[in-house]
Amino acid sequence: MAQVPVQTIHRDPQLFYWILFPITAVMILTGVLRHYATVLMASAAKKLDQKTMREQRSLLHGINVRGNSHALSKRSFTARRDALITAYESGAYLKDPERRGQAPPNPMSDPSSMEGMMGMMKNQMAMIIPNTLIMSWINAFFSGYVIMKLPFPLTIKFKSMLQAGVATKDMDPRWMSSISWYFLCIFGLQPVFNFLLGSDNAASQMAQQMGGMAPNAGQMFGPGVDPDKQFLAEAENLAVIEHYSVLDGVEQRLLEGIKV
Amino acid sequence: MAPSLLHPPSQLSPAAALQLSQQAPAVLQNSPSTVSKSPFSALFSASETPELWIKYENLLLSCLRTGDELAAKQCLERLVARFGDGNERIMAFKGLVKEADAQHNGELETVLKEYEQILRDNDTNIPITKRRIALLRSMGRVPDAVSALVQLLDFSPTDAEAWSELADLYLSQGMYPQAIYAMEEVLILAPNAWSVHARLGEILLMAATAPGAAGASYQKYMAEALKRFSRSIELCDDYLRGYYGLKLVTTKLLKESAKLAKQAEEDGLVLPDTNTIERLNELATAKLSEIIRHSTAQDRGWRGYDQGEVAVARELLSEDSSAASRIER
Repeated sequence: MAQVPVQTIHRDPQLFYWILFPITAVMILTGVLRHYATVLMASAAKKLDQKTMREQRSLLHGINVRGNSHALSKRSFTARRDALITAYESGAYLKDPERRGQAPPNPMSDPSSMEGMMGMMKNQMAMIIPNTLIMSWINAFFSGYVIMKLPFPLTIKFKSMLQAGVATKDMDPRWMSSISWYFLCIFGLQPVFNFLLGSDNAASQMAQQMGGMAPNAGQMFGPGVDPDKQFLAEAENLAVIEHYSVLDGVEQRLLEGIKV
Repeated sequence: MAPSLLHPPSQLSPAAALQLSQQAPAVLQNSPSTVSKSPFSALFSASETPELWIKYENLLLSCLRTGDELAAKQCLERLVARFGDGNERIMAFKGLVKEADAQHNGELETVLKEYEQILRDNDTNIPITKRRIALLRSMGRVPDAVSALVQLLDFSPTDAEAWSELADLYLSQGMYPQAIYAMEEVLILAPNAWSVHARLGEILLMAATAPGAAGASYQKYMAEALKRFSRSIELCDDYLRGYYGLKLVTTKLLKESAKLAKQAEEDGLVLPDTNTIERLNELATAKLSEIIRHSTAQDRGWRGYDQGEVAVARELLSEDSSAASRIER
């Protein structure tokens, strides 16, 4: 079988110094900058005032009582349940009891929730702006250059990915254009940032995108959720619970389980 | 097991605490005093780890305990340099050092005033709230400490540490039902903590033997104590304290088995029949003697027991056997 002649393209070695290296360096530096910009812009976690804390933790307390009710004896559980249901239904734990029953404030007009949204906006901006700038910079100066050859063979499907901006039909997909190198850098620099900045850095955009997708842990007490409704739902959950206790028959279990 | 600086030193014996605080000069010399926040030095030096600061905190506590206030102050300085004056945890440590420095009650009063000032500015500063409660308690103002704790637990009812402190305070005042309630709250937050189950059993036993308890409530307390100890053993095999309590309760119940009235089955907490109690007693006796035997012989896997606890268990067993032989005679 005849060997397919190896394509060779004579490249100026200067391409390496003036394109490949600058793109990589700029990408790394932007990542580091973005990390520190995020750290600087991050607003300190907002302090809860005592009433809010009381409201949230009282709800958590109810959830704990419901979840771990088996650790209690029936009598103490019933006492707790009755007390909690009464308090929940009368709104004793609410932050401002007189606002009870009114519609929750619009999250857009609440300054405390605006802050959280601003934080998210800032993060998004810190990600989008540098990316746009770098991409247009690369497009303006380096588009159309073939800068390197990958050391492994690839199928034809990779052509559109690796040779973006180089419209040559017969070229081996192993040849890479500058804009593809940029994309490779975006996705492949994570370990470098981990090494430079520690593992919980804010440089990687991948992590941020993932974080945006995952459900937020603070959702439970987020803006726009009516605590009164949460309390009432929790009271209902407590009321329908079918209580059993681990103390029931524990001595029998012990005698059966442990042999001397 | 050598004490480690990475664990909170509150449970250590005096000797172990002394040993830890004697490491202070070496630790202070070998650990970096500050970690630079600039990105360039971070590239070249070792990055900072949480363990370093945990070490400083624990060293601070051990040093205060053993009276090495110079080293404690050095630890505190480094912590302040890293986390700043406004950090709640650091504020509590600063207060702690001041408390240790105080020579007489008047100075403690000043520290207390400072705490109250801090709390007036920020009433959700939980470390300082807890320091204030601890200070009130150590100054002997137990009712104030209790009311401050109740106030703390009103806005933060998911704090197991505070609940157990409250249980301890109530217990020290002999208010058993309240102590039991607080201990049950700890169990809600940590349902599988065998030590908490055993502790609740102990409190129940104390409540049962207190002068005020009689009749139905006595039996209820005893029944629940029996079950709590059983549960703690179920969660942790060969748990010396659990077996010790079980032995105590069952022995007591067997002695009084004639007096015990039949209980109504209303709330599920009934004493098991005499036969079961006897078998539990035998089990506890056998297990206790096994633990004592192995632990005295320093067998593999049996070395973790506290020597004092083992000695007390041995005493209990010998008392029991002498009582038994007296009955036979």
